This record gives sequence, structure tokens and C-alpha cells, in this order.
Amino acid sequence: MTPFKVKDCALLVRMSGLPPAINLRELRERLAACSENALFHHFCEPLLRPAFDHPDYRNDFAVWAKWYLGDRVLAERLGILDPFSMGSLEEVRAVTLDILDERLSEVVAIPSAAPGDEFYFLEATTIVFDTEDRIASARELAPAIRKMTNGSVYYHFLEARRRTQAGKDDFSAWLKAEERKNAKYIRALDSIDFYFHSLSNLKEEIIAALEKVERKR
Amino acid sequence: MTVPLSDYEKIVGPTAITQLRRLGKKLGGIRVVHVNSTREGGGVAEILEWMIPLMREVGLDASWEVIQGTEEFFEVTKNIHNGLQGRPVDLSHKGWKIFQEVNEKNMEKLRPTLKDAEIVVVHDPQPAFLLPLCDKRKGKWIWRGHIDISRPFRPVWKVLRTTLEKYDASIFSMCEFAQALPHIQFLVPPSIDPLSPKNRDLEPSELETVRARFGVDPDRPLLVQISRFDRFKDPVGVIQAYRMVRKVLPVQLVLAGGSATDDPEGNAVLEDVMEAAGEDPDIHVLNLPPSEHLTINALQRLADIILQKSTREGFGLTVTEGMWKGKPVIGGDTGGIRLQVVNHHTGFLVNTPEGAAHRIRYLLHHRERIREIGAVAREFVRENFLLSRHLREYLTLILAIRRGVDGRSFEV
Repeated sequence: MTPFKVKDCALLVRMSGLPPAINLRELRERLAACSENALFHHFCEPLLRPAFDHPDYRNDFAVWAKWYLGDRVLAERLGILDPFSMGSLEEVRAVTLDILDERLSEVVAIPSAAPGDEFYFLEATTIVFDTEDRIASARELAPAIRKMTNGSVYYHFLEARRRTQAGKDDFSAWLKAEERKNAKYIRALDSIDFYFHSLSNLKEEIIAALEKVERKR
Repeated sequence: MTVPLSDYEKIVGPTAITQLRRLGKKLGGIRVVHVNSTREGGGVAEILEWMIPLMREVGLDASWEVIQGTEEFFEVTKNIHNGLQGRPVDLSHKGWKIFQEVNEKNMEKLRPTLKDAEIVVVHDPQPAFLLPLCDKRKGKWIWRGHIDISRPFRPVWKVLRTTLEKYDASIFSMCEFAQALPHIQFLVPPSIDPLSPKNRDLEPSELETVRARFGVDPDRPLLVQISRFDRFKDPVGVIQAYRMVRKVLPVQLVLAGGSATDDPEGNAVLEDVMEAAGEDPDIHVLNLPPSEHLTINALQRLADIILQKSTREGFGLTVTEGMWKGKPVIGGDTGGIRLQVVNHHTGFLVNTPEGAAHRIRYLLHHRERIREIGAVAREFVRENFLLSRHLREYLTLILAIRRGVDGRSFEV
């Protein structure tokens, strides 16, 4: 098996150029018009940004709906969206817009944030580095992941699902080179409900799943 | 004092440091010049103090230039600063002329350095007018705004914007601070240096020396606000909050502020604070010179609770410093304090002296929460607001600017 190349990544965040949204109607308008890059950033990249990890929700739209619009119903509906389970970012956009339209049809007054609490549409560039660390076999995977940064975990386990055609994480894709021999590891990785974890928790989950396979060997 | 990059490994891990070296190698020898208006005092000078040597250590040809100004100039720039943070100010044509002339004078001296630099980072408004004066410049110029210009006083912003528009990119600490400009706007929160005299671990004897020097009673709770004597930091509001708590709990308060050479308003504010403090022996108002980093460090470590009750704030590095020392922070619900202080997790956000008093009393009656919140705060800073992350973002930003920022990712 070719050794696994461990990579790491960092985000470089920038303004998207869209004006901020102050209420639910503006959020809907901007979300319909924003780039896929912005959509990806707000759904998938909050974990890598230097910001406090609010454990309630994994995407920025749900967090904003809860904390600044004060609309818990909307926050719950947005919060359960898993962008990695959808075929494309356009599908993510369509589903999100549907939720916003539904909410707009339900509310008597348009939920609005206070001045200073607007939603800003951002975009990011992911800069990827080769750490020069290599993993030779499936058995080495868990200890290697223990040493990885959150950036590496994000890149190989989450970002890979968007980057690769198969929509799988990099570890599974690598293990597939010897599919029969590594089947248990691949199944273990596949069983992780990854989207709702913080990166530190996700790292622990991956290690625990792989170590369980090791113990049963 | 320059600390080698390897010393940070024990704090942020070897991977983060290796990453910085690798990035530096990609930029091999690039000439980067930072320009600001003061060598000491204030967050910008503190950042540049560590950033320049570390940029050099990873292989960049980095330098730091400080513009020289007259008293009149710094009065004008203080007005510009206040105007950008939203206060209506009276800035005459003459004031802008002084601003222009001082920039011109500095340009004469700095031209050879700036003209050939591949990247020039101009910090805050004071040196902003250098760009249009530097004809035949070769590199990319970036304006780094450290302050909150989300709701500027329009007449000031309108004049400044005509120059800022000419930069190749700008950097803000938070999206809320950015203004619409016709170039790419990056978001890079600042950071602290955990090994600087202001933040390094201290021996118990060093703490005791500072405690004794200022007559702080070790048996009673201590509240500390460290910041310049600036109205936006609301030191008088802090005294009001202290007095509300003092009625029921025997607290002590330290208000310690340095002064910066580019802040002429400091003395007037200090007088107001002294007047508000009156003869109360438990309020210690300390006007410390910029070199007293160890004293500031010790005061923050001696504190039970750190206050930063600003009404406007850029990022609030004193908040970061307090959190790094494992203290809960009660901070104004504004600017970068919001990015750092998360209610019940790393401290409390407040809007009034009453709000601050309420949270102080809560924490002093739940001492275990002081420890728990302090521990979360320290780890939050380790993950997000130490210099390694900050330097990495500058290096990636320079890489991105040189290759053109398009697409969602690239590999280095």
C-alpha cells in the first residue's frame, strides 16, 4: 500500500462582498445570491475559524437564527441540515432556501437582529500543507491521528468529502487500496456520525472507532 | 528580547511550528515592511514586536518602520481614530493638511525602503496616506485596520476611504469592522505572544513583589482592568461597578493603563479617572510606562476577575491576555470582546456598570466558577489567539496575494 500522506490546512477568511443581512428576509435574499464558496464556508468551515465552538449547532445560519434572530424554531430546522449528506452545494442551497421560505410564511413579523448583530457572508480559501508525515499501514492510523492537528482531521475527514468524486474521507479512500484486508477499518470509519462533532471530539471518535477494531483483532 | 520559534513548541505543539517554517520557505527572502506610528504602547506595537523577528526567522526579509509625527499630528490622528470609531469629531481642512504633510515628510525618509518592498503592511490610519505618495512602488500594499470602523463618523471615513481604496487589500480583525472597499478584505484576528514579558509564567516571588509594591491586600478579592486611559475603555464605568460591589463585598480595584506616544488624550482621561476614584484607598489607579510589562503581567495574575468594560473596542488584546492567565473576563458587549468572551464559558459580556457589578458578585459568590471559566478561557486562547495562528495567517495571506486569491483551496 502506498504510504498515506498526512496533510494539514489553514483557512484564510475574507469578506464575500455581499451586504450583511439584518433580518430573515434579507438572509433569504443573500443566501439565494451568495457564491457556493460562501455557502460551503458557513456550513462546513466554522470548525476551523478562530471562534468559540458553540456546541448547539454546526452551521453559522442556525447559530445566527438562535442567538441574533431569537428564532429557535428556525434554528432547529437549519441546525439539523447535514451538507455532507447532500449531492451538491446547490442542493444545500435549495434545501436551506426552502426552510427559510417556509419560516417566512409562518411568522407574523419578520424576525430581525439588532444593529451590530447582522449576518456577514464570508468566503475562505483553504491553504493545504504537506506535513511530510507518512502512515504505512492501517494499524498505524489511530496513533497517527492522535498526533494530528485539528486542521489535518478536518482536511482528511471532512473536506475530502467535497474534494473527492467518491465523496468519502481520505482515510477510507486510502484503506480501500487493500479493501478486503482493511474492511473492518473502513466500516468503522463509515459508522461515525461526523457532522455534529467538534473537531477535537471527532478526532477522539475516529481514534476510538479504529482502536476498537484493533482490540478485536 | 527575541524568543526563538522553537520555544513555542511546548505551547502550541511542534506541528504548528513546522508548518510556519515550511510556509516561510515558500516565501523565501520576500521583502516585507510593516509601517505604524508608535514603537511602544498599544496592541499594534506589541504585535510587531514579536512578528518581525519571527517573520525573519522563517526566512522573510521583514522590517518595521515607525513614522515620526508632531504633537499636532497626533492630535489630528487621535481625532481620526475617534471619528473612525464613531465619535463625531471636528476635523478641519487644516487638520487634514497636517496629516498629509507629516505623511509627506515621512515618505521622503521611507521612500527607498517602501518603493522596493514586495509587501507593505500599513497599520491603522496614521501612515495611511503614504501609499499615494509612493510612486513607482513595486509591491503589494495592504492596509491593516486594527480598530472598529463598523460605524464611522462619515466625514472622517469619506476622506480616508479615498486613499484606502487604492490599497491592494485590507485586513480587519472581524467582519463587523470591515467597510465596503473595492479590493479583497481579509479577516485576521490578532493574537498575543505567550512568552513575552507580559504573558510569560511568573514566579510566586515576582507576584508578591508587585502585590507589595502597590499595597494590594492578599486576603481580599481583586478586580483588574488594564488598558490605556481612553474614554472608549470606560474606566469611570468600571469605578461605578466597583462601588456597587463594594457596598456588599470587600473588593479592591486596580485600573492600570499605559500610555502610547500617539495618544495625546490619555492625560485628560487619567485626570477624570483620578477624580472619580477620589480618596478610596482600595482603588489603585496606576499610570504605568510602556516598559512595565512584567508588572501588568503580575497584576493580571493577581486578579480574581479581569474587567474590560469597553464601550468600543478593536479586538481587546487585554482580554486575550487575561484569559491566557486563566481568568474569567467581564467585558463590554462590543467589538472583538464578543469574539472572545462567551457568556458562562469564558466570562460575561455586559453593557452597563450595573451589569458588570452583577457578574462580579455572581463570580465572587461562586469561586469554583472562577476556576472553571478561567480554565476554558485559557484553552480557548491557546487554540485561537496565540501568535502561531496569527503568523500563519499572515504568511498564507502573503502567499495568496502573490498568487491571486481565487478558488476555494490551493496547496503549498
